[in-house]
Amino acid sequence: MKVTIKSWNGVATWRWLANDDTCGICRLAFDGCCPDCRIPGDECPLVWGQCSHCFHIHCIMKWLNSQQVSQQCPMCRQEWKFRE
Amino acid sequence: MDSPGEDEIWADMAVIFPVFNDAPWSEPAPAVDPALWESFVRALAKHDMCELLEDIMVAKISEHLLEVAEEFWARVTDQTVLGFDRFKQAVQGLDRDSANMLQYVRRIEDMRRMAGVTRKIYGIDDWSVLLKYLIRATLHSQLPVPKELSAIGDFYALSFKVFYHQEKSSREFNESGEEYHCNGCVELAEDCKCDQIIASFHFVNRILIKLELLERLAGDVLTSLMHKQIESHVQDTCESCYTMCFIEPLEKWLNSVVVGWLNHLYSTAPECPETQSKLITFKRKLNHLLYETYTMSRIDQLFNIIIEYPESSPAITDLKLCLKKTHLRPVLVEKLKATLGKRLLHPGVNTPDIITAYISSIKALRDLDPTGIILETCTNPVRQYLRGREDTMRCVVMSLTEEGPGDLADELAYGDESNQVETNWEEWLPDPIDASDTKEDKERQSWDIISMLVNVYGSKEVFVHEYRNLLADRLLTQYSYNTEKETRYLKLLKLRFDDSQLHYCEVMLRDVFDSKRLNTHLHAEPNFGLNQQELEVTCMILSAQFWPVFKEEKLELPEKIKKHLEIYTKAYEAIKGNRTLCWKPHLGSVNIELELKGRTANYTVTPTHAAIIWHFQEKDQWTIDELSGVLHVPPTVLRRRIGYWQTQGLLKEVATDTFLLVEDSAARTAKNVAASDAMMCEDDEAESIMASAQDQREEELQVFWTYIFGMLKNLESLPLDRIHMMLKMFASQGPSAVECSLQQLKQFLDAKVRDHKLLFSGGFYRLPK
Repeated sequence: MKVTIKSWNGVATWRWLANDDTCGICRLAFDGCCPDCRIPGDECPLVWGQCSHCFHIHCIMKWLNSQQVSQQCPMCRQEWKFRE
Repeated sequence: MDSPGEDEIWADMAVIFPVFNDAPWSEPAPAVDPALWESFVRALAKHDMCELLEDIMVAKISEHLLEVAEEFWARVTDQTVLGFDRFKQAVQGLDRDSANMLQYVRRIEDMRRMAGVTRKIYGIDDWSVLLKYLIRATLHSQLPVPKELSAIGDFYALSFKVFYHQEKSSREFNESGEEYHCNGCVELAEDCKCDQIIASFHFVNRILIKLELLERLAGDVLTSLMHKQIESHVQDTCESCYTMCFIEPLEKWLNSVVVGWLNHLYSTAPECPETQSKLITFKRKLNHLLYETYTMSRIDQLFNIIIEYPESSPAITDLKLCLKKTHLRPVLVEKLKATLGKRLLHPGVNTPDIITAYISSIKALRDLDPTGIILETCTNPVRQYLRGREDTMRCVVMSLTEEGPGDLADELAYGDESNQVETNWEEWLPDPIDASDTKEDKERQSWDIISMLVNVYGSKEVFVHEYRNLLADRLLTQYSYNTEKETRYLKLLKLRFDDSQLHYCEVMLRDVFDSKRLNTHLHAEPNFGLNQQELEVTCMILSAQFWPVFKEEKLELPEKIKKHLEIYTKAYEAIKGNRTLCWKPHLGSVNIELELKGRTANYTVTPTHAAIIWHFQEKDQWTIDELSGVLHVPPTVLRRRIGYWQTQGLLKEVATDTFLLVEDSAARTAKNVAASDAMMCEDDEAESIMASAQDQREEELQVFWTYIFGMLKNLESLPLDRIHMMLKMFASQGPSAVECSLQQLKQFLDAKVRDHKLLFSGGFYRLPK
């Protein structure tokens, strides 16, 4: 007997390759979305700082916009710089 | 008394009134010389004996009437004669006797006139009235038990029947057989007795009306006869026909037939002045009787009427009208409640059927009673019962999203238009007394079918939760990327439910939609190498946070497949930076082609099935344990999956737990395949890929464990209700609070005791040392 698989329709879940499960700012799951968003993934991506902490982009932007003096990572208080 | 005139008077009296000397009443009174009569009366008056004579007469009549009454009732109750004739003869006799007495009464009247006596006897100064009065009184003093009065009923029943058939068609003969029967008297046509019957009917009625005995003697019988007639007519015409209005034809029938007969009955003695008013009273009574009978019959059939709604809406309209005229509303509520309980609320009825009936009753009762009070009271037990059934919400959701029973999908499309008509305050009516006062008028009225169904559980969350599970199941078992229909339903649902509650479902549908696009994209891009693969890999990529929890099942896929999936993952990672895929190997659908001896076969199966058959390429015989070792699937699950290939005739259990590949097509019997195919389908359908509700619940309760652990660490040992109370105080606050009943908590803690994470003794829970 020979088995030929013609097509394979699988199911998978996606997840962010982050070092934590939840966003340090909104405390919601990375794989979900920030409180202001409705659709996770492409529409609510994560960003990493050079300090290697990561957040929902909307969360960190909100945080940075609220900081008048200097832009710091809310976790480690280092200066926030986006990692490319 | 010594006066010589007195003896003379006594002698004359004996001649004029022979009955005083015990002469039989039946003999005609002897003729009296007017001169003698005049002198007799004068002598009486002179001696002041008029009243004495009257007293003697009353005593004699009363004495005689006792015999008359006895004879009358004996005739009426005589079982040897036919009912109809019995009554006729009895009345005839009574008429004769009263005529006999009347002769003497006339003399007394004459005497009173001549002597100018005005004394009242029993408050009556007219002797002919007094005679009737005495007859009535004596007859009733000896009234037998009603059971023995069947003759009267027979008499009127037969005469009604004759009348009824004459009315219907002035004597129409049944021409079916050789012997012609009259429909009225059921005699052979040639000796039809209808005319005789009618004649005696008139005769009897005339006498009874003359003696003013009709209402007293036959009133009850007539009423019950009419009642019976009405009942049987209502039964005959309206039985199990709900698609017509019956009130008008019934009223017409009553007026023409029943009231017609009554007119006939009274018309025999038109001289009586009260006849008209009596007729009107009778008519009114009969009308009410008709309504009551009709309403009762409709109430008895209400369950069927409800089931057939809206075809049966004329019946509902009738009932609505009748309820206003009768006081049967409480009866209706009680009966309907009982019927609903008996017909629906037991384990023998499928949940979809209960829901269909519930929907019908909502529609029908809303029509019947726009205030919604009957609906609320009658269907309350149904709601309570549905709450106890596990699959209620599933069925509701199913019928909402599919063209299931009850056409809920249409209902959904109508939207939530609560028809709040501006009501005229002058037409306001207070709620009936049976209304519960807990609900506002408006609240009741604004309930439409969907919200009533959803409110079976009192909250929309359960509904939304169930809907999400169902949607997930459907999306993942059909593997169809076509979400148009589901999207449409979701939009409709959003009109009714909170947007935020359905947010998860929206994301789920979007996942499916995005996966489709991504698959096309990945396959179109040559760099990823997907299009050069031996087998086409597509994938449904889900946002795990938004889907219900999946049942965890392990499955180790064959190397070749794994490599293919890895390529796909790489492609995904390349296109979506910083993201990766976690495969759910046991989910999905696989299209495989088997090349067997001399034939090929095509199957679409689950990955587990595919993996099993894949391994039979290497060797023909596997044991369950071996397969389990390779596939990492528990033996019990494995056995069930192998079952599918067994039914397809490809695998054979040669020894316990040992399976052999059968390539020979001759070995498969067609019958075997057909029978098991059906079985397999059932099995597949019954299984949900989502974690069961109980598993999910347990997961939720895990949140509490840290609290409980901390509690017991500080306080050493606690009883169940203390733990429950403290959890309620501290743990279940905030938006994501999980409700947890005492019962659930006990189950949860007992599970922990079984796992040796807790100790339980003397009603207290403790942490093990």
